Amino acid sequence: MSQTVRAEMVASVHSIIAEVGDELEAGDTLVILESMKMEIPVIAEQPGTVAEIAVQQGDVVQEGDVIAILL
Amino acid sequence: MPSSFDQRAGLVGSSGQVTLTVAAQDTAIAAGSGDIPVLATPRLVALMEAAACEALRGHLAPEQTSVGANITLDHLRPSLVGAVVTARAEIVKVDGDRVHFAVVADQPGPNGAVTIGTGTHLRVIVSREKFLQRAR
Repeated sequence: MSQTVRAEMVASVHSIIAEVGDELEAGDTLVILESMKMEIPVIAEQPGTVAEIAVQQGDVVQEGDVIAILL
Repeated sequence: MPSSFDQRAGLVGSSGQVTLTVAAQDTAIAAGSGDIPVLATPRLVALMEAAACEALRGHLAPEQTSVGANITLDHLRPSLVGAVVTARAEIVKVDGDRVHFAVVADQPGPNGAVTIGTGTHLRVIVSREKFLQRAR
């Protein structure tokens, strides 16, 4: 079952941690967002393989925007 | 008085920008909005309003001005004293006397410009004299 990871707030993308093809455990960090002047890790909620990272460093994301898709 | 409607009809897409080198008087400490020496959120609000005023510069009749009515701001990243912050405002909608802006601010980062804030802003075009009379 695929897992779509979305932004929970307006943020800028501080850094990309995971790469396409990475096999992640629940709790592993996908990207780090910066919002409210803090660095906020975006984590995989379930184990999966990264199929897509939908953002790039420096992007500004809105609440609900897709960050990554895991399979 | 020029036909303000005709003037404003072509305003969508107009933009303005202002740049600030963050100094001690721009910090949260100076603004009373915090106690660390980084760019104060209310100072960033003011910078975005200034960018919006720049976007309107030259588009209003001499007796007209604009007043800030609403602003939403996500302040994403802190800026240290010495940082060069640029705010930009673009007119996205004109609804009668109300001018809606998209506002964004950035600063240089190690890999290019980094967005530090983003939001929306509303200004209302008013008669300078009538506005002051009503405020008294």
